[in-house]
Amino acid sequence: MAAGLLMIAGGAAAGLFGSLLGLGGGLLIVPLLTFAFDLPLRESIGVSLVCVIVTSGAAAGVYLERRVANLRLGMTLELFTAAGAVLGGLIAFALEERVIAGLFAVLLVYTAASMVRRSTPEPDVAATEPVTPGSSWTDALHGSDYRVRRLGPGALVSVAAGIVSALLGVGGGIVKVPAMHLVMKVPLRVAIATSNLMIGVTASAGAIIYLAHGEIDPFVAGPTALGVFAGASLGSRTAHRIDVRVLRALFVVVLLYTAVQMVRRAAGTGP
Amino acid sequence: MAPDRGLEAGVGRLITVGTYLSIGILAIGVGVMLASGVSPLASAPPLDPARLPADLVALRPEGFLWLGLLAVIATPAARVTAALVGFAARGERRMALIAILVLVVIVLGVVVARPPEL
Repeated sequence: MAAGLLMIAGGAAAGLFGSLLGLGGGLLIVPLLTFAFDLPLRESIGVSLVCVIVTSGAAAGVYLERRVANLRLGMTLELFTAAGAVLGGLIAFALEERVIAGLFAVLLVYTAASMVRRSTPEPDVAATEPVTPGSSWTDALHGSDYRVRRLGPGALVSVAAGIVSALLGVGGGIVKVPAMHLVMKVPLRVAIATSNLMIGVTASAGAIIYLAHGEIDPFVAGPTALGVFAGASLGSRTAHRIDVRVLRALFVVVLLYTAVQMVRRAAGTGP
Repeated sequence: MAPDRGLEAGVGRLITVGTYLSIGILAIGVGVMLASGVSPLASAPPLDPARLPADLVALRPEGFLWLGLLAVIATPAARVTAALVGFAARGERRMALIAILVLVVIVLGVVVARPPEL
């Protein structure tokens, strides 16, 4: 029973910190299961994808009901993220686990660097302008006060986000949100909400590959997903009351430490 | 964008209900698992849809856990299906086509993800 409770607690911590810091839980769940519970990396990634679907689900429903998420843009881009996820899932079973560990280390370092950059606020670069009716393909994707631009590059980045998601067990928001905001000029809050909506289909397409390969263990996935859901729910309710600057700095250190552990695993010298 | 508060609200509710339902089933499975002293690090039986009803009736944790996991993974596809119906009803052919293509990609994933031991 102790291991089950620890898994719930670990999942809850991953969900809580992920929610407070605006990260998906996947980035934390994979190292947690791999290093704390000594699970194979691919199994940790499969379980993480399940957790990612659960955490995105609750938020995505609310974002849609409040009309913050753009359903049409999300569904158009998730065609590409889902295709990328199928591809990423197949790649994950073609690569050695050591290579995946190395790639995960790169993702951790990239995320740490993004968090450092995020500490300096950026202006919202989205061009907000009235939307006039037209006949182009993207007309159906515009919001009431913004236009969606450069769908082609956005679609390409979405394929990459899908590959990253299924290969490393994360939601891929760290790729999609900047792409939608900076490349497609979607307002940041809409980009975050729409990315969250897309995570479900993307992670689900990847999870199917892991499920078929027997890499999703229900005894691990159940307690972890439950914990992550509870932690993320708590985090979303308390985030506005907490100054996360210190937490973010501490977390950068944790991410870099975890990256070193992943590099050691990739080199065959680590845990 | 066309006014479609009903479609977005309906799809949003479906995701929320699906997520909470999945979590509820998983919570029962985890509760049964902890109560019966099964370690999460123990070897779990593989997914066998034919065994699922019997496992549920016998209150075996794997039955609830597998059902919950399948519900988690199926919820996004259910959301796409609901959106497809909504777009088709509104005559939004392009978006309906996109929704169909998303479902095709998901099915393609099921097809290409061949289990190693079949």
